[in-house]
Amino acid sequence: MLDRMLEVNKKRITKYKMSENLKHNMGGWLVMAPTLLLFAFFVWEPLLESVRLSFYSAKGMKLIEFVGFKNYIDVFRHPDFLPAVRNTFSYTIWSLVIGFLVPIVLAILINEMVHAKSLFRVGIYFPNVVPGLATVLMWGFIFKPGKTGVLNIILGQFGIEPMVWLSNPKLTIPLIVLTMTWKAAGATALIYLAALQGINPELYEAAIIDGAGIWDRIRHVTIPNLRNLARTLLILQVIAVFQILYEPLVMTNGGPNNASISIMQLVFKYAFEKFDYPKAAAVSVIISIFLISLTAVYNKFNKELDI
Amino acid sequence: MKKGILRLISLVLLLTMLSLLAGCAKSNTETAAPAATPEPTPEEITLKLGIWPEDTLADDIKMHENWVKTFNSKYPNVKVVPAYYKYATDTFVSLAESGNLPTVFETWYTEPQKLIEGGFVKDITAELKELGWDNAMNPTIRELLSKDGKIYGIPRDGYALGLMLNVELFEKAGLVDANGIPQYPKTWEELAQCAKTIKDKTGSAGICILAKDNAGGWHYSSIAWAFGAQMEALKDGKWVAQLNSPENVAAMSFVKDLKWKYDVLTADPTNEDWGTGFKALGTGEAAMYIGANDAVNQPTQVNKLDVKKLALVPLPAGPGGQYSLMGGTPYMFSAKATAEEVKAALNYIEVMGKAPVTTPESLAGMEDDAKNKVTAGIPVIPDFPAWTDPEFIKAKQEAISKNSNIDMALYNDYYEKLKQNGNLHLEEPKLTQDMYAELTKVLQAVITDKNANVQKLLDTANANLQSLLDSQVNK
Repeated sequence: MLDRMLEVNKKRITKYKMSENLKHNMGGWLVMAPTLLLFAFFVWEPLLESVRLSFYSAKGMKLIEFVGFKNYIDVFRHPDFLPAVRNTFSYTIWSLVIGFLVPIVLAILINEMVHAKSLFRVGIYFPNVVPGLATVLMWGFIFKPGKTGVLNIILGQFGIEPMVWLSNPKLTIPLIVLTMTWKAAGATALIYLAALQGINPELYEAAIIDGAGIWDRIRHVTIPNLRNLARTLLILQVIAVFQILYEPLVMTNGGPNNASISIMQLVFKYAFEKFDYPKAAAVSVIISIFLISLTAVYNKFNKELDI
Repeated sequence: MKKGILRLISLVLLLTMLSLLAGCAKSNTETAAPAATPEPTPEEITLKLGIWPEDTLADDIKMHENWVKTFNSKYPNVKVVPAYYKYATDTFVSLAESGNLPTVFETWYTEPQKLIEGGFVKDITAELKELGWDNAMNPTIRELLSKDGKIYGIPRDGYALGLMLNVELFEKAGLVDANGIPQYPKTWEELAQCAKTIKDKTGSAGICILAKDNAGGWHYSSIAWAFGAQMEALKDGKWVAQLNSPENVAAMSFVKDLKWKYDVLTADPTNEDWGTGFKALGTGEAAMYIGANDAVNQPTQVNKLDVKKLALVPLPAGPGGQYSLMGGTPYMFSAKATAEEVKAALNYIEVMGKAPVTTPESLAGMEDDAKNKVTAGIPVIPDFPAWTDPEFIKAKQEAISKNSNIDMALYNDYYEKLKQNGNLHLEEPKLTQDMYAELTKVLQAVITDKNANVQKLLDTANANLQSLLDSQVNK
């Protein structure tokens, strides 16, 4: 009885070996199949569909006829388009100026801490737990002009007259970026922190033996080890900030006089204020072309640096 | 062994997903079925009421429940389904496209043309003709709800913009006569002075001006017209923007002065929209606000101003005259509704006392409505005539005066002014929302920048509007 069972098993094994490659791959494909199907259904198909939509005229959501680049031309000619593009670049640049280094500094500081490390680790992540809308509403109260704004009340204690914040066209974008940084820096800092803890401690020991102080250790050990991660996070940040929508929408509605309108807000306006979905799709396609080319150029640049 | 587990996992995952997809497909057909095959047997019509009150308004719900009883005793074959829907641009299209839009819903004065254009609402001309309501409608309001001679909605009520006053602040500033009636400003220049007095004596803002969204440009049009501006004109068959006319520059400079010369505005007009304006007025943050007769519940019921401390007076006059912008809040009907469902909805509106008929049910509806307003602390004031049927107007007037809870002296001037010839002014006709958007940007600039160049800003706005007109209207 036992012999026979073994025999059958042997037979199975040889059979299995014959098409092992195929079967091996089959398993892989089967594991991936659900994800692939879901991706195709929820991501790729809508993506292609919106490209198609941008070349048609529509009644509500029903496509009417092919109109070529008409939607794109209308979008380019719209008086809000240029300010929106300009502002979006401005958001991105400000977010790099204000926000890029903050998580790195936070991570290094926490990494160097001896006591209460976990407390600070949780602490910096906390703002990220607050829902996005709640964050911008809260900062809206803080930046409220007049005597009732939180920041103005605090400044009033030091005898400073109430000021306008978000409705000052020069301050709007930096202030909005500040609130975004407040919310998001903690999460990014945790990623850097993980990378920092992955750095081989022997490198630090060697540096100390060579007589390196804290600054030299950061300069010659920490930063080179973070560089690759920082490069990836930089482009991810650019992509994320490029799609900024709800912060200006809620805090300033794009004002004053288009000083903070973002390109995603144009999509929102076309889709949900005018029900003009083809033009909304056209703007989305323009955004993605911007981002794809930006990423391509950045990656090429990076590769050259690596060589 | 490992492979076996792998295969097992993939099989389970695959099965899960297939069942998920099957689940989707199943529920899809379930929800789509009623829309796809509307089989209204004469005995059974489902009326989905989007005009049902929201859950928190218990009194209003009770009122509607009574109406449903009355309605069903007359039309037992109609099943009324409460389907409260507060119109919002970000939810509307998905509801409409999925066939889940209520049979009848309320929308905003800005929307009808857009909704007709998108094919989301039903042409109800035939049903209205059958009831004889098509000619009972105020012609200007009918115009707002029609396209190419077809009517797509009926008015809940009409409105005309006036100036709302917080009487408490006027009393504090000593701006009332012997009878306690506010001495309100008759011209925009007077308004600036009056606002200054209020600001000096009470510390509250004199007037709340909006500059957050398109409502800013909408309110501003009233000021511009008083200064003599006409912002769009038809010349040689083409629509021409006239935002940078000397009259409009004068009007915009006046708003700028309200901020920088008189300093009588609320802390941040660029953050004020239609709703926050009423909040400012109702809570005594501002003494004056541009508002209409159909929104008197906003400062009172919603923001708790004493019902007797609200006044509605005519908008001030300017060098170009005195105008009141008029419009209407419409009821519209789902494009997927059948003729029977639309008729049922119209019949229900009749029971509510909002239709141009004077049946006993309709009269009872008007009475209930007025009484409900008294309990909720909303001023019971005459409607703006959205329907022209004289008997209907008379009956409505009776229900209102019987239940009056305010001193009409606080409203009489407003209603008198509306009756004058040429006082009512329709919105500018073409790309109105785009025009408001351009004006709002200029408002934001002049309110936030003391040194803003009004002429230059309006030149830009004008060029922008003209390019939109050329690309979308003057084809």
